Amino acid sequence: MAAKRKPGWWKRKLLVAIAVLVVLAAVGGGFTWYKFFREEPQPDWITKDPDMRFKYGSIGAERDAGMPYWIFYVLPRMFPEKLPRPGGWAALGVSWEQGQELPIGFTKKVVGFPRVANNCASCHAASYRKSPDENPTFVGSGPGHTLNLVGLFRFFVDCAKDPRFNADNLMREIKLVTDLSWIDRQIYRFLLIPITKKRLLERENQFAWIYRKDFPDWGRGRDDAMNLTKYFLLKLPMDDSVGPTDIPSIWNLKKYDRQGTTMNWAGDSHDAYSVIIDSALGVIGAAPKNKDEFLEQVKWLQQYLREKAPPKFPFPINEKLAGAGQAVFEANCATCHASDKTGKRMLLDAVGTDPERIWTWNKDNAIAANKVVGGFGIERKGLVETPLEGYNAPFLDGLWLRAPYLHNGSVPTLRDLLTPPEKRPKVFWRGYDVYDPVNVGFVSQGAEAQRVGTKHDTGERAGSNRGHAFGTNLPPAEKDALIEYLKMR
Amino acid sequence: MTATDPAHPATGKQSWLARLAQKRWAGWLIALLVLPTLGLIVLGLYVAFVLMEDEPVVYANIEEHFKYGSTGGERESGFPYWLFQVLPRVCALHLPGPGYASLGMIFEEGKALPVGMSRRRYQGVDRTFLNCAGCHTSTVRDSPEAKPRLYLGMPANTFNLWAFQKFLFDCAKDPKLAAEYVVPEIDRLMREKGERLGLVDRYLVYPVAVAIVRERLLMLRGRFEPLLPYPEWGPGRVDTFNAAKVLFNFPLGALSEAEKNGPSDFPSIWLQQPRKGKQLHWDGNNSVVEERNKSAAFGTGTTPPTIDLVAIGRVEKWLLTVEPAKYPYTIDPAGASRGAAIYERYCASCHGANGRDFSGGLVGKVTPIKDIGTDRRRLDTYTYDLAVNQSMLYAGYPWRFQHFRKTFGYANMPLDGVWLRAPYLHNGSVPSLRELFEPASKRPKVFYRGNDVYDPKKVGFVSGVPAQGGKTFFKFDTSVAGNANTGHEGKAYGTELSPQDKDALVEYLKTF
Repeated sequence: MAAKRKPGWWKRKLLVAIAVLVVLAAVGGGFTWYKFFREEPQPDWITKDPDMRFKYGSIGAERDAGMPYWIFYVLPRMFPEKLPRPGGWAALGVSWEQGQELPIGFTKKVVGFPRVANNCASCHAASYRKSPDENPTFVGSGPGHTLNLVGLFRFFVDCAKDPRFNADNLMREIKLVTDLSWIDRQIYRFLLIPITKKRLLERENQFAWIYRKDFPDWGRGRDDAMNLTKYFLLKLPMDDSVGPTDIPSIWNLKKYDRQGTTMNWAGDSHDAYSVIIDSALGVIGAAPKNKDEFLEQVKWLQQYLREKAPPKFPFPINEKLAGAGQAVFEANCATCHASDKTGKRMLLDAVGTDPERIWTWNKDNAIAANKVVGGFGIERKGLVETPLEGYNAPFLDGLWLRAPYLHNGSVPTLRDLLTPPEKRPKVFWRGYDVYDPVNVGFVSQGAEAQRVGTKHDTGERAGSNRGHAFGTNLPPAEKDALIEYLKMR
Repeated sequence: MTATDPAHPATGKQSWLARLAQKRWAGWLIALLVLPTLGLIVLGLYVAFVLMEDEPVVYANIEEHFKYGSTGGERESGFPYWLFQVLPRVCALHLPGPGYASLGMIFEEGKALPVGMSRRRYQGVDRTFLNCAGCHTSTVRDSPEAKPRLYLGMPANTFNLWAFQKFLFDCAKDPKLAAEYVVPEIDRLMREKGERLGLVDRYLVYPVAVAIVRERLLMLRGRFEPLLPYPEWGPGRVDTFNAAKVLFNFPLGALSEAEKNGPSDFPSIWLQQPRKGKQLHWDGNNSVVEERNKSAAFGTGTTPPTIDLVAIGRVEKWLLTVEPAKYPYTIDPAGASRGAAIYERYCASCHGANGRDFSGGLVGKVTPIKDIGTDRRRLDTYTYDLAVNQSMLYAGYPWRFQHFRKTFGYANMPLDGVWLRAPYLHNGSVPSLRELFEPASKRPKVFYRGNDVYDPKKVGFVSGVPAQGGKTFFKFDTSVAGNANTGHEGKAYGTELSPQDKDALVEYLKTF
């Protein structure tokens, strides 16, 4: 047969075939890029306003840690029994402004398809109410004292483990809320849903410690930060340490400019730049795709947070009493909390608070973590490569909104903190956002606090309210004055 | 590979296909191959045609459209038409009387469906479900013997939604909700109407539909179950925002006790234009009319992808300007004009200059619960957690909900057509206007709801009669949780006026 063909026939055929293949590959590549990788910028109302950007702006976490939007949307509807109480995502104590599609700290961005991920504000936004009959006020960069982060982590894993988490069921639920094109339905059914399930299940081992019955629940407003770093960034096997601590406020970072200050509860990181990088990497969950873009983002955050002022106490202050309290403060507190020692580590024995947080981290971990981040090509001062010996003496800016107190949030109010440790509340409820201006802290007892909050038992591991007995022997009048003064810090 | 293909010049040798085609039985073979293929194509086209079917019954007249037109709710939530029609026969045991009329639904002469139900053929099945008129239309009679007059847009004073729901839930649990009972009833009913049940419907559509409807109803029943033991709402009322929680699948059993069951009156829905920007719903939790409308449309079975925005748009537009009917009984002009002065002093700043002019500094604003003092259960059913979840509704659409807000009181309502809006207060705990001007201690503690006979003296529906003309009315007990008739009282609310002044005020309100 071939003998009868004109010379060059095969060549022509081959060229045509190659041309067809090239076109097909280009179309396929274009399709794949468009449907899975193209990035659309977030809308102006987010990117143009710094406060909105902090609350809702992408930090690039959608690429690797982003959940397909419609899966995120239907999970609480499909698996409400895995949430701590009714309320969808709100049941997890997220800070959610009325009228907003997503809670603060939850970012929506199109990377091929709309995805939901997180930014710093998911943990660092605080809500308070002056009375139960009032809507909450949200303070970006405040401590997310209502957030049930462990509940959120467990919810994702628990959903993925449920056999009902399959394409048929999810697609049926998604069909009730949106009208996807045929192609997008196939993408969800055959790719996004199975891949999401797989990715969530992969985390189960790394999250093993949050399921341990012999460990305390983090409860609202706390996270076991160094263990998260060990099991996710360093991928270490589970050890026996546990140390949930309060989610901190991150406003007014310029206070750390002073030479020799360290950050985090145990002073385990050198500077704000390093902490932001490390925390952001935790949220992104992978090496940043574009290092320069990532570091730009970090620098913006640092600049924003350096200048972000702590919020003023929202109730009236007795100025005369506060004036008297200032003297008490100078005499009793200033040595550690308003001096050259502030923002630096104290020896644990000198303060005597619960030690377990310190035991969740060590010098080797710091060296290893610095190496991993260095491996991404990121230069930073990083984690402190020495053994930890105690907790930082914290700055007290915006103290009123940073309740409960001590690194592990074991003391509900300032008044309780000025009470001898053995007389402090042994059991209370965290995460209710109605404020108690008399004792300075959130309401932590009573029916509503119990319904909304999570129980903190100071008898549980890492939860002790001991130590920091300073000022507990002051006469009552001086305590009142001191508390009044601290409202102004 | 034919000989004429230039790419494959004839070789003199015949291909296997050509040789095959010369065999004697080749025709049979081809027929065997081709016929099933053709059959499949025809079947495929039929299925495609059926799946694409989406034909609502359309009414050119806007009032007919309001009464019987579709919101799109049938697509996702519709009952197969004939199944819905035979349910009262199949599940007669679970109804208080004969047919849907015994639930207070209104049947106009010659109509197979009650007012407030629409019909649409969707994906091969005629379906029916509630529309806006179901909860926002009712009747008035001048005397027990008189013929009822239909008033569109007024609260569905006689419709017992609670009992309707209960009927469906009970029927779903009944073993009779099975093809064995349902299909023969449909067959019989259709024969009575001179229609025939087709083969596909008999053997495929309705047996499958029965199973699906049962499953859906049991699912809903399961979601509502924790609230079913709570006090019955009675006609004219609904526990609106716990139904909204069901939409999100909040486990109702785990709600705080305070937010379980807070029934309130269906509102009137006239004159939406001048309501724009005012705080809508009893607690004023939304101030955008279109968003509130789409929210209410969930109650007619719509979902974001299936809502019929064109059909609903017609209703929405009509409601902007449609006015309530004038008071049909005599008004004493002298009394009314005296009442006008009193109204101006006591009521206008919260309730508007008159029945059409809603100006006034506090109109459509929320009065804190401690000031208004009315029953707080309805307020407490609406929670912050629900409000933020609602802002995910219609995600991906330009009209995503953005205006739901938790409030801490009840909104001051304009009073257009107030005569048709009895009983009064958000929870319908005071039967008449005249009684609303008494302090709570003197308001009726127990009365009957659901009667459509009007009492022009007190301005409200007759409320002292437990039963009449074969109908039993709902005994409304103000001591039941959610039913308190307290509040809206004291000097500022006119309950300390002289009886003559109260009469005059009532006379004036008839003009609204």
